[in-house]
Amino acid sequence: MIVGDLKPIEEIVSMIKGYTQVLILGCGSCVTVCLSGGEREAEQLGRELARIRHYQSAAPKFIVDSILRQCERDLVIEYQNIPAGTDALLSLACGAGVQTLADAFEPLPVIPALNTTFLGASDKAGIWTEKCKGCGDCILINTGGICPIARCAKSLFNGPCGGSKEGYCEVGKYAPCAWAQIVARLKKMNKLHLYEKIHSPKNWKPGGAAGPRKRVRTGLGEGNSIKLKEGPLLIGDS
Amino acid sequence: MSYFRVNENCNGCLACVESCPSCALSFIDQDGSRTLKHNMTKCARCGQCWRVCPQAAIEFRHLLVARWDEVITLDLIQCRVCGEPLYSPAYRQKVESTLDTTQEALCPKHRQTRAASMWPHSLPGMARQSLK
Repeated sequence: MIVGDLKPIEEIVSMIKGYTQVLILGCGSCVTVCLSGGEREAEQLGRELARIRHYQSAAPKFIVDSILRQCERDLVIEYQNIPAGTDALLSLACGAGVQTLADAFEPLPVIPALNTTFLGASDKAGIWTEKCKGCGDCILINTGGICPIARCAKSLFNGPCGGSKEGYCEVGKYAPCAWAQIVARLKKMNKLHLYEKIHSPKNWKPGGAAGPRKRVRTGLGEGNSIKLKEGPLLIGDS
Repeated sequence: MSYFRVNENCNGCLACVESCPSCALSFIDQDGSRTLKHNMTKCARCGQCWRVCPQAAIEFRHLLVARWDEVITLDLIQCRVCGEPLYSPAYRQKVESTLDTTQEALCPKHRQTRAASMWPHSLPGMARQSLK
């Protein structure tokens, strides 16, 4: 799931200054689950931003609402009411949600309250760590289910670098060496021969190097009319 | 029966209500008793309530293995040959008005058989079949 962190309050205040009525919109999906941008966080943010100590002149009026998903443009247009007099939206969704709102309600400014950080998972309650970089060409079969692209600081493909020490990355002891983990995992799986397989340099087009990616599912709505060859990023597309 | 179920260990401490990131849990204290409420639309099934409950009272599996709710029941028109269910009268009306035609109540197989039977010469071995 997508993980993000709320921006520092001072930064949010600096972005909303000057507006008269701001709709604060939480999102009920990923950012709810990682406790960054759900309904509860939206209400907390509304209460904090309403404090006059943040402003030299009048504070904006805040209205707080939340929608289950901010990343479906037609649903948002149909079901999200923008109260009259609103001159800006403050979105607690991930970047996908913020942009969907900006597209749906242009030219109304949509301000991001979150810094979207990574695709991650929760191994322990309250802790989410980065797991996936969305490279579009998954190699987890070869690495025992541990991604070197996301979890190795250098995204190395063929084993650890010289900086790997006692199972930790040279960037710091907060970062386990992904390749140390991979080797340990492959050993447990009796598949160390996979470690000896040499992986050639990756084609990064599926990973975003050729521009924003797209998934088109034919048979659904406009998926029928989009020519599949337009734009990059089907796996193996050159 | 709700999706969100608690067992007899629940003591009404409201830790789950406090912890829910979606504000999908609430409560009412009224007439000397406390009622815990759950909102399935808001619920993200994140499991925070299940993690935080000090009594291990939340039976989270009921949120994961969902039951089916009945939405609507409509009458069906059936194939006049074999009885296979086809569509509702409203659906037939829509097809007929969109295609500007009338629809006979036949399943795909018997529609094909009927069509083929109109031109028995195109299928030498096929006798005209009676569909009455």
